[in-house]
Amino acid sequence: MAGDEKDKDKARSAAEGPRRMDRRDLLLGLSTVPALGLFGYAWQKQRQYERAAREAAAAPQQAAAADVQTVNVALIGAGAQGQVLTDAMLRIPGLRFRAVCDVWTEYNQRRVVNMLSRFKHEANGYEDYREMLDKEKELDAVVIATPDFWHARHAIDCLKAGKHVYCEKEMSNTLDGARSMVAAARDTGKLLQIGHQRRSNPRYLHCYEKLLGEAKLLGRIVTVNGQWNRAVAADLGAPDRYVIPEARLKQYGFKDMHQFRNWRWYKGLGGGPIVDLGSHQIDIYNWFLGSNPTRVMASGGLLYHDPKTHEWYDTVMAVYDYDTPAGPVKAYYQTQTTNGSQGYFENFMGDQGTLLISESELNYAGRVYRDPNAPAWDQWVQKGYLTAPKIQEVQEKAEESSAILDVRESASPDEHKVPVVLRDPYHQPHLQNFFNAVRGKAKLNCPAEIGYESAVTVIKVNEAIDAGVPLSFKPEDFKV
Amino acid sequence: MEDGKLSRGPMIAITLLRVVVGWHFLYEGIAKLSSTSWSAAGYMKQARGPFADLFRWLAGQPNLLEYSNLITMWGLTIVGVLLMLGLFSRLASLAGIGFILLFYLANPPFVGYFYSLPMEGSYLVVNKQLVELFALVVILVSGSGRFAGLDRMVHRLIARRPRVAAASAPARVEPA
Repeated sequence: MAGDEKDKDKARSAAEGPRRMDRRDLLLGLSTVPALGLFGYAWQKQRQYERAAREAAAAPQQAAAADVQTVNVALIGAGAQGQVLTDAMLRIPGLRFRAVCDVWTEYNQRRVVNMLSRFKHEANGYEDYREMLDKEKELDAVVIATPDFWHARHAIDCLKAGKHVYCEKEMSNTLDGARSMVAAARDTGKLLQIGHQRRSNPRYLHCYEKLLGEAKLLGRIVTVNGQWNRAVAADLGAPDRYVIPEARLKQYGFKDMHQFRNWRWYKGLGGGPIVDLGSHQIDIYNWFLGSNPTRVMASGGLLYHDPKTHEWYDTVMAVYDYDTPAGPVKAYYQTQTTNGSQGYFENFMGDQGTLLISESELNYAGRVYRDPNAPAWDQWVQKGYLTAPKIQEVQEKAEESSAILDVRESASPDEHKVPVVLRDPYHQPHLQNFFNAVRGKAKLNCPAEIGYESAVTVIKVNEAIDAGVPLSFKPEDFKV
Repeated sequence: MEDGKLSRGPMIAITLLRVVVGWHFLYEGIAKLSSTSWSAAGYMKQARGPFADLFRWLAGQPNLLEYSNLITMWGLTIVGVLLMLGLFSRLASLAGIGFILLFYLANPPFVGYFYSLPMEGSYLVVNKQLVELFALVVILVSGSGRFAGLDRMVHRLIARRPRVAAASAPARVEPA
């Protein structure tokens, strides 16, 4: 029986003592080690492949880089937005990162410096931007992605130190700050680009120049609506071992670590969702309508979030009046941070057509609807400005459902697509425009003056909510 | 487990299974380690099913999240290496089972759960994670590391020392 065999085995091994390691043990013991070598080989190959793919993606830019003047860059503010900008800049030829400044030396600064070193940029880390400006004499340009209430000081000091500046929107949390930034750019003669990046997005440029400018597809624009709906997001935190000492937080204007991480929600530091999200899109209202508003009425409040940790309004609805060269326009905008359905877009409606556009490549990336009474758009389709229409099968559906198409109901318009896709990161074209301007080869798409007009337009919404009545703009409000 | 319990053919097959599962673990770990910004937070936030709340809560705890990230990245890598080498393969199998169980429970294809993310197959209760988990159960019970792996040598080295000697060795007396 098997049991007997086993007992015999045991007895034998007990008698002989433990078996010594023999050649068979050695061979079998090491038999799977070569698999690890094979893995290492495959992994190397995979890394080579990824590197080659990255280089191939940058190849046309590298070719162009040969005759491109190198621009020495520093980043101030290495948080989430600084990371987004850095990722985009790493794809732009002819840039050399020299320095990264962030007061969160324990985490953000170290993270971005390390990341840059992997891309062969030797950037020095600084906590104090003034020390950086003192030591980094060869800097040409500074990219600023700090909290809004720091923008004015950072931008002005960099301009005065002779650097060109790309500053994230909102230009400043106060109009005084924004005005002094415009003045500093004028005084120093240095470039100041504000980060309303849709202004350089090829799809937006196509719509502005071709569809609205040349083809005038929408006819007379009478109404605009837009939104940014965002789902509830947990407050940002930080692991205990990365918490900034209280003295340093206070030194840079933050009450505690929670405020440092969630500054966008605090009055005096940021402007809340209407400024963080709305300013991108309301800036497009001004741009596409070719004018600034004359009046705004707004309603909003902190309806959902905890007032102990959130000061700004989580829900805002605003209506602007515009007096455009073509006639009066009403423009609605809403932002809410409790439900992300239907995301974000801008929608321009004229008597001949509708333009639905978004920065997002996934949703509402550019649709144009031809109103049935508009003249034919065939020539624009032939020119490649639009795709051929998808005909709405409204008649058929109406018959199927046995419902009668009421005479008061308009037939659905044809849907065309805007055939422009951005395959680069959203911020890349705007940064590229800035660096082209630094090299003297382009004009800024969003200079300080335009950033200022946008700031005046948007910051007024918060005032209108507090006032509870419509507020007017005077044309000189938009001038510095 | 003594070799000979399973015959040579099945043991070779299970050893190959151990190596490929280890390979998969190792690359999952290394891919996360070599990414500049990998975090488990995204996966946890998308959690569905009975444990969804727990995973989402975890994603919102910066300290715990940091540990989770480190444990996942290094854990997968180490388990992968150990499985491939057949070193401490039972411990590695158990750890691997633990990891996969967590991944599985974060998004279990239970009856009535629908996912908007496109999946590359069709799953009801059992998915590829669960199959890999049970592959590790087979590796765990087969003692594949002692058949072909460094465990075999470790085992011999330990077994070479007679236990009685260790037990009867006089306790060292520290001089006063």
